[in-house]
Amino acid sequence: MAGRGKLIAVIGDEDTCTGFLLGGIGELNKNRKPNFLVVEKDTSITEIEETFKSFLARNDIGIILINQFIAEMIRHAIDGHMQSIPAVLEIPSKEHPYDASKDSILRRAKGMYSADDFR
Amino acid sequence: MGLSELEDSLDARLLLFMEQLELLEEKRSTLNSLIEQGWFSMSKARYSMGNKQVSALQYASEIEPLVCVHARTLGSGDVEFCTERVAQSKESGKDVSSIEDIGPQEEGVRRRNKPKNVTPEKEANDEASSEKAPDVTPVRKSDQNPQQDPLKWFGILVPQSLKQAQSSFKQVIELSAEIAALQTTVLNTRQELKKSMKDKHFLRKETSAAQADEAAE
Repeated sequence: MAGRGKLIAVIGDEDTCTGFLLGGIGELNKNRKPNFLVVEKDTSITEIEETFKSFLARNDIGIILINQFIAEMIRHAIDGHMQSIPAVLEIPSKEHPYDASKDSILRRAKGMYSADDFR
Repeated sequence: MGLSELEDSLDARLLLFMEQLELLEEKRSTLNSLIEQGWFSMSKARYSMGNKQVSALQYASEIEPLVCVHARTLGSGDVEFCTERVAQSKESGKDVSSIEDIGPQEEGVRRRNKPKNVTPEKEANDEASSEKAPDVTPVRKSDQNPQQDPLKWFGILVPQSLKQAQSSFKQVIELSAEIAALQTTVLNTRQELKKSMKDKHFLRKETSAAQADEAAE
């Protein structure tokens, strides 16, 4: 469908998902899988990783928002994602503030310089 | 391209990279503040409405997205993201000729074939009710409309703090698109810098090799 925008997906704790769904990004119907995952204490890492990979495989998702503490659980999967679309944004959670040193994007941007580069 | 020109272009690109990183950091800081503000407002709403009144239990069974993002890849390899908010459908226009079904929706099988020994009074009543609204289309309850404002999931009258939370998260969504675009730009600039560094080292080696040959002669 030409001109139809892409969705914004979210993988986060209950408050994060509730907030973004309030913002209007949610999609939930019997025909398609939802574009959000509420991660609870008993949610397995396998489920999180499978959901993340399913979001990457969908061609109708433009941005994936994920709490950073959840991103840490599936860091290998996030670091392996090199494409521009969908873009992956790590966001803080209530109990885990944002740490720039853990962000995949910033680590890729930071890790390029050595002493030889400035000669 | 000569070595000095390459070095000048490398310096310019490095400055651009630093500016982009600084801008990314600023936007991230704003994003994080807005998210925290949204949570704070949600907590205030939860305090006044009750713990379970603002939770995943309140999500509608069918939801349609009210905001989407358009991604466009530019010639330079950068990606542009821009959000678009869908205008919510108004219910009033559609419901003019239909009657809202207030009672619980019957999910069981309906008895369509009326038995032959139905009393005349009952038949008259049935005919009368069918005459009143011959083309009634049962409309879903308003809270089942997938395109409604998500605020309505939490009740008809919601506290101002929940509306503030919604407003904060709407701003977060707009800013997320900008940050997503900036992230791809930062990574592309990094790639270009890396390539230019390699070219510079290669050129430098060639230049020093040529100078060494000249000195030997």
